[in-house]
Amino acid sequence: MNSYPIEFLNVSKSYSLNRLKYQTLSENFGQIFQRILTGKKRTLQTEDFWALKNISFKVGTDTVLGIIGRNGAGKTTILKLISQITYPDSGSIQVHGKVGAFIELGAGLHPELSGRENIYLYGSILGMKRKEINEKFPEIVKFSGIEKFLDTPIKKYSSGMYARIGFSVVAFMNPDIFLIDEVLAVGDQIFQERCIEKMRQLAKTKTIVFVSHNLDAVRDICTEVIYIESGRVKKWGKPKLVIDFYNNRARSEKYVL
Amino acid sequence: MYSWMLELWKYRELLFALSIREIKIRYKQTVFGILWAIIQPLSLMIVFTFVFSYFLKIDTGHVPYPIFAYSALLPWTFFSTSLYFGSLSVITNSSLITKVYFPREILPFSSLGVAILDLAVASFLFMGMVLVYNTPITFNLIFIPVILLVEIAFTAAILLIFSTLIVIWRDLKFVIPLITQLWFFATPVIYPLAKIPEKYRFIYMINPISIIVDDFRAVSVYGTQPNWYGLIIAGSISLFIFVAGYIFFKANEKRFADIV
Repeated sequence: MNSYPIEFLNVSKSYSLNRLKYQTLSENFGQIFQRILTGKKRTLQTEDFWALKNISFKVGTDTVLGIIGRNGAGKTTILKLISQITYPDSGSIQVHGKVGAFIELGAGLHPELSGRENIYLYGSILGMKRKEINEKFPEIVKFSGIEKFLDTPIKKYSSGMYARIGFSVVAFMNPDIFLIDEVLAVGDQIFQERCIEKMRQLAKTKTIVFVSHNLDAVRDICTEVIYIESGRVKKWGKPKLVIDFYNNRARSEKYVL
Repeated sequence: MYSWMLELWKYRELLFALSIREIKIRYKQTVFGILWAIIQPLSLMIVFTFVFSYFLKIDTGHVPYPIFAYSALLPWTFFSTSLYFGSLSVITNSSLITKVYFPREILPFSSLGVAILDLAVASFLFMGMVLVYNTPITFNLIFIPVILLVEIAFTAAILLIFSTLIVIWRDLKFVIPLITQLWFFATPVIYPLAKIPEKYRFIYMINPISIIVDDFRAVSVYGTQPNWYGLIIAGSISLFIFVAGYIFFKANEKRFADIV
């Protein structure tokens, strides 16, 4: 492939901040009446929050990109933009290849259904064919380590178990681009290590974007790291370089506070 | 539009999987389970039979009132339950919308899948009634798939529009049951279409559901051909709203994850 699997060019994304985006009819009617009475157009005041501001970066085929930054810096928004869950206000995003995203714990899993049913459901939500899931089912179950509870409704599972199912299905769906949000945090040590091992294995042939606060893991598996602060790319480069920069920054901020 | 269809086709297994999930969840932890698909139209039929056959004596020709009502309740219940569950489908699945990518129209469409199953289950009782009331079985039954196809197209169209609107205006959550109720009385379920004075008949012609209900009853109970003229109008209206609704849905779909 001669082009980059992921390319962001001047991408900006805003969310309205002080009110929810959906409207109520009474508000809409209120606005209309006000307009008729006063002749002025007064729209409801909205304050926009720029989750991302003019972000540009490229991710190569054999890259494992780590994204670090504080809560609310815009890390998850980047993953959502890559996987087309949400769309940018401006700028262009190009993504080549099948995307497998594990964005949030338990997304797509239904509490009333059993582990088995959920593996099938989540697999098809991620775009796998039933045949594919059948083939990989034993591997998925083995990797997630939920054999014993396969036919129990997952509402009885712990949150670590949710993460296990979710990650396992995504890991075996064989995407070209693999997006992983801070979700390993809930798994126990053994499962975390297993995930990191799996990611290292996948990294040989796939593009991976990995969002995490676990800087050791980032240093361990990423080949490049982006540090994001308030929706802007502050630093982009080798893991050690960026992580040191981030640590310094965090330290100096602590003193200010 | 073609590329949407193509993508939908690519995700057909998800459509199937979500329909199955809907079915499993809807009847999970209920005592009667799938029997609810029969209980609903059955209980309405019983009440209607008392009120409109014993008290008010609506003339239904040679057809006994219970089967007259039930044959209309089948397509009507299909429409009303789809509308109820389907229009909420986007907001009830907000966790999917904000975390996974897939063509969003799969959500309202999958509630159609459940309605189709419900209809199939409820039809068993209908077949029993056909035998009990000795209703003649005619060749015209082969037109039922055509009528159902029009109904599915129309219902899908309405779902695309309502499920989008409800994301933007949550008020509609309360409006939809009201609309459904009014729509019910405007549809010839409890009374025959023939009872409507000629000069108001045109109102019924622009309501595809009333034609669908009337035709369904005509072919299944009265053993006549469907009203082709009406069915073609209903089909065209449905197709038109479907295309418009699909465009409307797709135009708003990208905002769903930010609003919902």
